[in-house]
Amino acid sequence: MRDAWWGVMILATLAAACDRRDEQSPPASGAVSMRTVAGTRIAAAHAGPAGEWQMPAGDYSNSRYSELATITPANAAGLHVSWAFSTGVLRGHEGQPLVIGNTMYVITPYPNVAYALDLAQPGQPLKWKFRPENDQQAVGRACCDVVNRGAAYSDGKIFYNLLDGHTVAVDAATGKQLWRTRMGDLARGETITMAPIVVKGKVLVGSSGGEMGVRGWIAALDAATGRQVWRAYNIGPDKDVKVGPRFKPFYAHDRGKDLGATTWPGDTWKTGGGAVWGWLSYDPELNLVYHGTSNPGPWNASQRAGDNKWTAAILARDADTGEMVWALQTSPHDLWDYDAVNENILVDLPIKGKTRKALVHFDRNGFAYTVDRATGQVLLAEPFVPMNWATGIDMATGRPKAIPAKMPATGKKVTDICPSLEGGKNQQPAAFSPETGLFYVPTNNLCMDFETREVAYIAGTPFIGALAPEKGGPGGYRGEFIAWDATTGRKVWGIEEPYPVWGGALATAGGVVFYGTLDGWFKAADARSGKLLWQFKVGSGVVGNPVTYTGPDGKQYVAVYAGIGGDMGLLIAGDVAANLPYDVRQRGTTLPDLSRWTSWGGYLFVFSL
Amino acid sequence: MMALRIAFRLIAGNLAIWGCIACIDSGAAQVPSGKSPATPRQGLTDGGDSLRIIAHDEITPVGFPAGRRPLVLRNPYEGNKSAIGTGARLFISYNCIDCHGADGSGAMGPSFQDGRWHFGGSPGAVFESIYQGRPEGMPAWGGRITDDQIWMLTAYVRSLASADISTENFSGQTVERTGH
Repeated sequence: MRDAWWGVMILATLAAACDRRDEQSPPASGAVSMRTVAGTRIAAAHAGPAGEWQMPAGDYSNSRYSELATITPANAAGLHVSWAFSTGVLRGHEGQPLVIGNTMYVITPYPNVAYALDLAQPGQPLKWKFRPENDQQAVGRACCDVVNRGAAYSDGKIFYNLLDGHTVAVDAATGKQLWRTRMGDLARGETITMAPIVVKGKVLVGSSGGEMGVRGWIAALDAATGRQVWRAYNIGPDKDVKVGPRFKPFYAHDRGKDLGATTWPGDTWKTGGGAVWGWLSYDPELNLVYHGTSNPGPWNASQRAGDNKWTAAILARDADTGEMVWALQTSPHDLWDYDAVNENILVDLPIKGKTRKALVHFDRNGFAYTVDRATGQVLLAEPFVPMNWATGIDMATGRPKAIPAKMPATGKKVTDICPSLEGGKNQQPAAFSPETGLFYVPTNNLCMDFETREVAYIAGTPFIGALAPEKGGPGGYRGEFIAWDATTGRKVWGIEEPYPVWGGALATAGGVVFYGTLDGWFKAADARSGKLLWQFKVGSGVVGNPVTYTGPDGKQYVAVYAGIGGDMGLLIAGDVAANLPYDVRQRGTTLPDLSRWTSWGGYLFVFSL
Repeated sequence: MMALRIAFRLIAGNLAIWGCIACIDSGAAQVPSGKSPATPRQGLTDGGDSLRIIAHDEITPVGFPAGRRPLVLRNPYEGNKSAIGTGARLFISYNCIDCHGADGSGAMGPSFQDGRWHFGGSPGAVFESIYQGRPEGMPAWGGRITDDQIWMLTAYVRSLASADISTENFSGQTVERTGH
């Protein structure tokens, strides 16, 4: 009942807000607006001035929300391309540029070139270009295309990860490399694709390689020197995973000694995955860093009986020391490659009459979790996409209630599991608007069959042991851009898409949300109604995340990469996903029609009114 | 070692190749004499404790002096159904499948179904790719698995090239709705 009451309250607030907006005269250039739904608050402020984009997700909370409000539902139809930039690199352009002052910073997929573009000059000439040393072997060791999810900025330095397992710092003014630290072991299949964040002078980075039998970790580097301050593994004995007196998981089954090792047979944890290739969040008040961990390895779960902690989990760690404070395993003993690396969005939300410090997480497993970010307690967990492998989440334990018929086992082919291993959502990050109280979530609607086989660990090769062909999910669409109410666990509206929505979302105070599609459209929708306001065909499929900033001329701009790739583009899209231009592949069976709409690209597009 | 022995047999009759065969057993690579044409880029490989020479038709320099044609290495298992079947099983056992895809359809690594080869598709070139690895992530299997197994894998992956998909014609097909 209280939920319903809150729903009414929110609707009433929205209606009032809409009315006010309608009466407004057109907002001034670079207008900033802030009217929020009662009880909602993004946990950490937007980094830097409203008109800049200084962090991968705009803020530590991963809200991807901007206070810029010049572009509105009333005028969005007038958006047009202002300028574009060719990155010179094909393959998947995940991630997003940064805007600091009058400079835009762009990081490409491998070979991970960094560009600094001068926004104050006509034609946006380069201030500098940085081409790092980057071991070519990494190209064939990365599971899911050679993507990079962007850079972090702090104190005059640009920090980002190289596919070959290094983290680099570059002088933001000159492009000169300041330091370079080897973090991953490429010979064991460790690559790095994630975007770092900088917390109190430390650069936080994590590894990729959940399909290569790595042992996942997250580490903190001194931003000034590149020296490692701490490294926490996600599997293994307590000492290595930094479980100690401060570890207070909410659920009893997560308490005990050395669970990161004892929930695995023998020493299988040493090749058990649990990588950190997704987005990081930080709550300055609790001083906690939140990150997910990847699938356990191998996918063939019969080789790793047990819960396989702390894979497929959301972990909260002390930002200064890496100590684990709580853990929530979303898919214990994961059977379906349901990594938990998707972003954790830190927002205070009114839930059942109380404002809660929430963490909202749209998991690969198809459930949207609203979690207490101080304790790890699941407040609410509801499916946000078509899902058929579980009947729900047991609120007493936080664990999913799996359906035996959908559980793969040796010698058994399981069919029609939804969502597919790409998840109800993958790396494509959602956004939150405090003005609507809604989360804007790019989703996939795919299902799969699953068949396992024994696999041996061979360093530097995939450690998988399963075949999982995918297919479109129920309903005749394969992706949907949805608005989600995390206080009730309900979808408010959705825009069905013919393909998985593999690009991220941007929410703005103007009441417009933005996203791109695999078939190469960039779209603006009304944040309240989901009405499509504008679209532009950028050519190559969008797997990147839009950002917005104020240009030197005071206008609001929206920027996004176009360049199909990533797991979706690489593995199942067909010839748009070929490894090299002269590698011609049969079109994938999951999206056989996609290659009609798009092909390789590597562009930055910038739009304005 | 089997492969090297096969290679020896195949090239034993022509010791004149760039004056380099003599060094096979010495374990030390010799610099080709200055009057020879430039060494083919992939013709000379350091196999560790011995030296192999594998030449590729597709990169034979034009105008090579008569009598000095490089040899083409042949796979003793080429077209051998039983060996191809063994190669298919090895393809799974050694995790090739999870890089190159089921039936070599392509995934992290290149496809084998398209008949196009990044580093040459001759038996010798494919053997080399497996034996010594390639710079974009292909691991070197030489010394880790037997040379015989590499030849069987070579036979298998070369057997996968199938349909000509050079052209994709979409006309007349149902158009999925995109955009709105």
